[in-house]
Amino acid sequence: MARKVAIIGTGQTKHGSQRDDVNMMEMVHEAATAALQDAELSIRDIDAVLLGNMEMFEGRALPEMWCGEGAGGTFKHCLKIATGGTSGTSVAISGFQHVASGLFDIVMAIGFEKQSDGHTPAGMALTDPLWDRHVAAGAIGNFALSISQYIAARGVTPEQAAKVAVKARRNACNNPYAHLQLAQITVEQVLSSPIIAHPVHRLDMCPTSDGACAIIYAEESRARRICAHAAWIRAAVTRHDYAYLGDLKDRLTSMRTLRDAARVAYAQVRIREPLKEFDVAEIYEPVSYAELAWYEALGFCKEGDAGRLIDDGITLMGGELPVNPSGGVLSTNPIGASGTIRVAEAALQIHGKGGTRQVPGVKMALVSGYGVYSWSDVMILSSSPG
Amino acid sequence: MREEELLRIPIKMDLEYRYPTGKHFTHFFRVLKEEGKIMALKCPKCGYVFLPPRPACGECRVPLEEWVQVSDKGTVQAFTAIHFRFHDANLGRERPVPFGSALIQLDGADSLLNHYLEENDVTQMHIGMRVQAVFREKRQGNIGDILYFRTIRE
Repeated sequence: MARKVAIIGTGQTKHGSQRDDVNMMEMVHEAATAALQDAELSIRDIDAVLLGNMEMFEGRALPEMWCGEGAGGTFKHCLKIATGGTSGTSVAISGFQHVASGLFDIVMAIGFEKQSDGHTPAGMALTDPLWDRHVAAGAIGNFALSISQYIAARGVTPEQAAKVAVKARRNACNNPYAHLQLAQITVEQVLSSPIIAHPVHRLDMCPTSDGACAIIYAEESRARRICAHAAWIRAAVTRHDYAYLGDLKDRLTSMRTLRDAARVAYAQVRIREPLKEFDVAEIYEPVSYAELAWYEALGFCKEGDAGRLIDDGITLMGGELPVNPSGGVLSTNPIGASGTIRVAEAALQIHGKGGTRQVPGVKMALVSGYGVYSWSDVMILSSSPG
Repeated sequence: MREEELLRIPIKMDLEYRYPTGKHFTHFFRVLKEEGKIMALKCPKCGYVFLPPRPACGECRVPLEEWVQVSDKGTVQAFTAIHFRFHDANLGRERPVPFGSALIQLDGADSLLNHYLEENDVTQMHIGMRVQAVFREKRQGNIGDILYFRTIRE
């Protein structure tokens, strides 16, 4: 039987397009220090340090070796988890599992990426050398192809996608750590920004960011002692799928990994009506259209109704289920950290430390992670250990 | 410590790699080169026809042994025109834009082939569009032997 586990502290760097003021290790240190401060702990209290990062982009081998020390991992149980874009949620899930197993009492999980050090699209193109590399056009190319199928299947419009992009950048203005904060952005601006891969406009896509995010987990007795409003982990599910984009006919439309991870997680917490029962969601939306597809896969609405959800403002701040009060991945994308930020932001909402992005009275929060169509992660956080 | 201007150190790398293909890709590439045929592997349990070739069906978890020839003609199931510039890992330089890209279901295959379209004007693309592979004149035994897919009318 797994032990009850809660998030008792979180820490983020200021995320940005080019953090030239720090190297990668110093950036990781910045997040780790912030999380320890938030939890009012010292590095001596931490039993294990887990790192999440998507290597290749910075052209640096063994980022876990270079950054372990910055994270305080010296002479501790210290290792890296990597699952593409899901790395940040996978390392968070691993942190939970380390404590739930009973082998570790207090664990820190840190996601990080310093995209400005390297070449992300070239790193993305370093896919299977025998096949996909020949035609690889990064995450943008993959999404653009899938989006053509999603539009054909569901009839969502560029305007509806643009509304998601606007929501994210406006929400980001309430998040002091966010990269892209665009208070005045409009649907027209998104639609008039250049097409990067049809039908995706530049402002439909996430930015490239530098940043790190750390989370501290504790077992039940310490969590109760240390944290007045602990964020309890109620479910944590990972699903993996085929590698090649063409292996499945409708990856974005069906998103069967996310659908199945959500099904299992909802069953564990007895969630029947996710739109009503969750108070906030932090989901990994690398492109505007993906958020609409995830609404369906996560059961917020019927298939084909995602456009209506954004049209009706249901996922805006103040709506029935605010999605990504933080501004999401569309505002901040340090890849290895992007998933960890989702978990930290959901925990912040339960801790009651959301500042101007706080949703009132959050008891149940949903988190998702996305990794190159080959992984989905789902976590459910709650104010009650259950 | 005195405030100093922070540095960035530029590094350029020029490396070569060689990747063994394994026996399934070897067969696929040999037949492609010598006979100009596109071969796929069929799952004995669920019947799914896989392209690219691989040793096993991931869902049924059984070995794939039955080779079937699939057509060089197929149907576009997803399409885009890429406009952003990026450093192409295969070419070692920027790929010229715009270019057409599609997921193509070759007649006889179940999985979709991610490849180039000759067409790069998105107003001339649609799901259901019929296309045919155009092969390199002197085939070398790699996926680049298919240059792109051209639109056909049947």
